[in-house]
Amino acid sequence: MAELLRRLLRSPQGALGLAIVALILVIVTCGPWLAPYGPDTMAPRLRYRSPSAEFLLGTDQYGRDILSRLLYGARATVTLACLATGLGTMAGAVIGTTSAFLGGRADEAIMRTIDAIMSIPSLLFALLIVNLLGKSSFSAVMAIGIAFTPGMARVTRSVALAVRKQDYINAAIARGERGIYIVLREMLPNVIAPIVVEMTIRVAFSVMLFATLSFLGLGAQPPASEWGLMVAEARRFMHLSPWMILWPALAVALVAIGFNLLGDGLRDALNPRT
Amino acid sequence: MTVLDIKGYTLDYATPTGTVRALDSIDLAIERGEVLGLVGESGSGKTSLAWAIMRHLPANAREAGAISLAGQSMMDASESQIGAIRGRRIGMVFQDPSTSLNPTLTLGQQISEVLVRHHGLTRRQAWAEGEVMLGRVGLKQPAAMMQRYPHEASGGEKQRVVIATAFACQPECILFDEPTTALDVITARQILDLFADLQAETAVASLYISHDLALVSRVADHVAVLHRGRLVEQGTVDTVFDAPRDDYTRRLLAAVPRPERRLVTGAPSSDARPLVEVDKLSVHYGRTGLLAALAGRRTAQVAGNRDVSLAIQPGEILGIVGESGSGKSTLARALTGINRFDGAVRFDGRRIAGAGDMDRPYRRDVQIIFQHPDSSLNPRQRVREILSRPLTLYGGEERIEALLEQVRLPASFADRFPHQLSGGEKQRVAIARAFASRPRLVICDEITSSLDVSVQAAVIELLVDLQRRNGTAYLFITHDLNLVRQLAHRIAVMYRGQLVELISIDDLARSGPRHAYTRSLMDAVTPPREYAS
Repeated sequence: MAELLRRLLRSPQGALGLAIVALILVIVTCGPWLAPYGPDTMAPRLRYRSPSAEFLLGTDQYGRDILSRLLYGARATVTLACLATGLGTMAGAVIGTTSAFLGGRADEAIMRTIDAIMSIPSLLFALLIVNLLGKSSFSAVMAIGIAFTPGMARVTRSVALAVRKQDYINAAIARGERGIYIVLREMLPNVIAPIVVEMTIRVAFSVMLFATLSFLGLGAQPPASEWGLMVAEARRFMHLSPWMILWPALAVALVAIGFNLLGDGLRDALNPRT
Repeated sequence: MTVLDIKGYTLDYATPTGTVRALDSIDLAIERGEVLGLVGESGSGKTSLAWAIMRHLPANAREAGAISLAGQSMMDASESQIGAIRGRRIGMVFQDPSTSLNPTLTLGQQISEVLVRHHGLTRRQAWAEGEVMLGRVGLKQPAAMMQRYPHEASGGEKQRVVIATAFACQPECILFDEPTTALDVITARQILDLFADLQAETAVASLYISHDLALVSRVADHVAVLHRGRLVEQGTVDTVFDAPRDDYTRRLLAAVPRPERRLVTGAPSSDARPLVEVDKLSVHYGRTGLLAALAGRRTAQVAGNRDVSLAIQPGEILGIVGESGSGKSTLARALTGINRFDGAVRFDGRRIAGAGDMDRPYRRDVQIIFQHPDSSLNPRQRVREILSRPLTLYGGEERIEALLEQVRLPASFADRFPHQLSGGEKQRVAIARAFASRPRLVICDEITSSLDVSVQAAVIELLVDLQRRNGTAYLFITHDLNLVRQLAHRIAVMYRGQLVELISIDDLARSGPRHAYTRSLMDAVTPPREYAS
């Protein structure tokens, strides 16, 4: 583990990505304590302020401090995005590994279904699911999770196919182990490394997708301080204060870049030969 | 005249955790027309030395000392000078011909390229010359062979092409890096004969790298023994093999399997009811895909086993020998339910028609040990978890520590991961796992072929000991005839998926093999050289 960290820090993208993600983690965990004001504290006389010493990032249409809203909103945005990615990854990993383990006709049936689902763009697919489940943060999480599952299943299967050929799987079959044990205990731990990399990169997409859903009004609902929702609300007041739309958009971009860099760094660190 | 001269050569690899010494003050000299056998176990630095001579080392290599070819220093030579020497004055033959030839070029292109590059011939001249070379290495139709791609030639033919390429420019020195290890016994024998002929004809100085002592004692004039990067002993074959001075050499020589030194005594009673009866077992590979089946196409099926029938007595060691692809492992996999099969297996009188009939008692009684412990132990599980699985599956109150003790490993190994163990230790863990359920039949699928000679001897001794204590029957699959003759009560010979001969070891010793294939197999084996001690 320490060795992995050292290798991660040696590459520039790994070190930068790790720094950004660490910063985000601090904000997610201690955001509310760091925030100078409450997220919903309104000040009708201090609306549309530009950044100043009093309001570091300015204020919005109700005079709420944007920095405080961003710090509070990180919890909703990043946590839910990670949750959605985790959900999609887990489902995808189990499906992919199972498919590789079963092989033959079952593998073909599962993978062709996955291919069919993958032909739908993930945003459209997420929109479809949210429309079915109703507008809420929960359905947005479900939607993103389900939308990510096919891709993860595909990545996992390609790795699991190589693991399937190893003799420890044959040994388990010869021992008479049940299929579920082989998939979960023998195969899954051995495909985890590429999954972790893929997952880290997908968190970035998930944050963007989540913000997009909220922007379209299908995810978090007002007055939540979710970043996508903040961008959506700020759009109408762009001509009064461009800062309002800039900050949350930058926050989304920073998280996306951070996780992407970390994923790149992890890929190099976990696989030193490439 | 000394062709290759190595003086005080030391090689270190710089790794993130510090430098690792690969070779330590090596002194070697090869005369013209001489064959120097370099012997050592895996990791001893044999291949590092070969690459150091070829001047092709990774960027983290740090060297000291001198390597010179016919008086010219190799270590001071510039990149372009080295380019002119490689292939022209030093040739190399690799272990595996299937990976050392480029699959996208014809064999003719690969051999003529060397001639164009180093002798300045035109393409046409080089092609004609290459054809002559292929004829010289004993290929039947050189002209047709020139046109073929590597996948259209057999392993032996490919290795002949590689050898022809190495000899093409009449180099002064050729390095042979385990040239027969990847080949079948009979093919290996032919390649060795070819090597001897070409060697005598061209008087090239050869460095013959191998882990096989029996083989080196036959081909080399001088032997150098490499142990952990240090040359522990060198001299003529006779002095080293007859009067080894170093302790390591002595251990190495003692570990070589000798057919005349039997490890098991007695024979199982032949009138008892057989433990396993295999009746006309066939295995077919190849599956027709769903879409292909819809389109009405059929995939040609390959037979892995054809009508194999044999029986194993309780407590018997049945050796199965044959070249790679002869269906030895297929049989093992069928008996453990990994492959589907036709025909029938009778275990202890009970009929097993397929993997579905292999219930818990059958699985408990029949265990398998695989060739590579690296791949048969899950790298993410600790030894404790690996060993506890059979116990939870089949019951048994044995403790993990007792299981480790049984295979002579310390109890503290229970908390280690497989990658923290050496190859021999890993194989012992695999053996402990197989014996955890107190099986009546253990299938050993080439379990020693990935191990070094000295480790192999210890593992075999352990197996014999376990067999004596538990009365377990073994199905011992191997390609090493010397080893199987030390160990088995009966030997089954397989050829292209069929069982061609089943002979008891006494009959084999008394009247020799009956089947022509067995005879050619026996003739091809290099018996260990007789030596004094």
